[in-house]
Amino acid sequence: MAQPSTQAPVSLGADDKARVVHRLRRVHRAPATDHKHPVNQAHYEDSTFGERLADRAAAVIGSWPFIISQTALMVLWVYVNVWAIFIQHWDPYPFIFLNLVLSFQATYAGPIVLLAGNRQSQKDRITLEHAADESDKGEQHITKILIEIKKNTELTLQILRELEAEGG
Amino acid sequence: MASQGSVTTARQRVARQHKHPVNQLFHDEATVGERVADKAASGIGSWWFLAIQSVMIAVWIAVNSVEFFTHKWDIYPFILLNLAFTIQAAFTGPVLLLSGNRQAQKDRLRLEHTAEVAESADKATLEILSEIERNTEATLKVLEHLKKRRAAKGGAQA
Repeated sequence: MAQPSTQAPVSLGADDKARVVHRLRRVHRAPATDHKHPVNQAHYEDSTFGERLADRAAAVIGSWPFIISQTALMVLWVYVNVWAIFIQHWDPYPFIFLNLVLSFQATYAGPIVLLAGNRQSQKDRITLEHAADESDKGEQHITKILIEIKKNTELTLQILRELEAEGG
Repeated sequence: MASQGSVTTARQRVARQHKHPVNQLFHDEATVGERVADKAASGIGSWWFLAIQSVMIAVWIAVNSVEFFTHKWDIYPFILLNLAFTIQAAFTGPVLLLSGNRQAQKDRLRLEHTAEVAESADKATLEILSEIERNTEATLKVLEHLKKRRAAKGGAQA
């Protein structure tokens, strides 16, 4: 005879949720290592040199140190060219050369923003493809379960008929 | 619709009320720098910012070109205004990347969470399947048992 199941059912209990959050917190603060999801693995761990470079560029330009240093340099530039006494003023008011330098930065920042955006949309594409694969797999499992339950119902009905025949 | 109502309540949730672990980590546990980055991105990317910027540009050009105003600091071709635009663009780019990086990080975190949940859901599905298979086996045995009993009874009657 089949024994009653003694194992606890597999579902996300409170302990499991805490474990998941703990792991996520670790991954959150230490990126680019030890990914579990195949799309993350493909995107971060199997990226090409160009892709890594694009990620680095986006990470450096899109960071507080970059923004703060840029601000400091700008303020210093304007200060030196207006009030400095012992240094030659290389770009007096209205700071046309500063304008060129900043335009240069903006000219490169635009394409790098798009580079990062393209990479993200590529990731989104892979994510959806992976989700479609996974949902196929889930559907197969559900079909199997359904077939099994139908079989079970059929057997139960047979038992019912047997019992009715016995009683009648 | 019920789902529409639940989206409305989800929208009203603010800091420290998030239910999804990714939102909890990403928004509720954000560092000061991350919070300021979010504020900067949502500030620049708003109609208020665009409207105020447009008004300021219009005032700047009007004051510096219309005869009526006496105090002019940046006459045609508005070189200082050009510098102001450039400074805005020079900061918008990095802030855009800052917020993009943050969004990419959230996407990464969300996928990791999905992988964790999918793993246990997969296990649960397989367990359901094996449990049903066990049930079928047991039912089959019951059926055989009944058949045997009826056959024995029938034999006795015959």
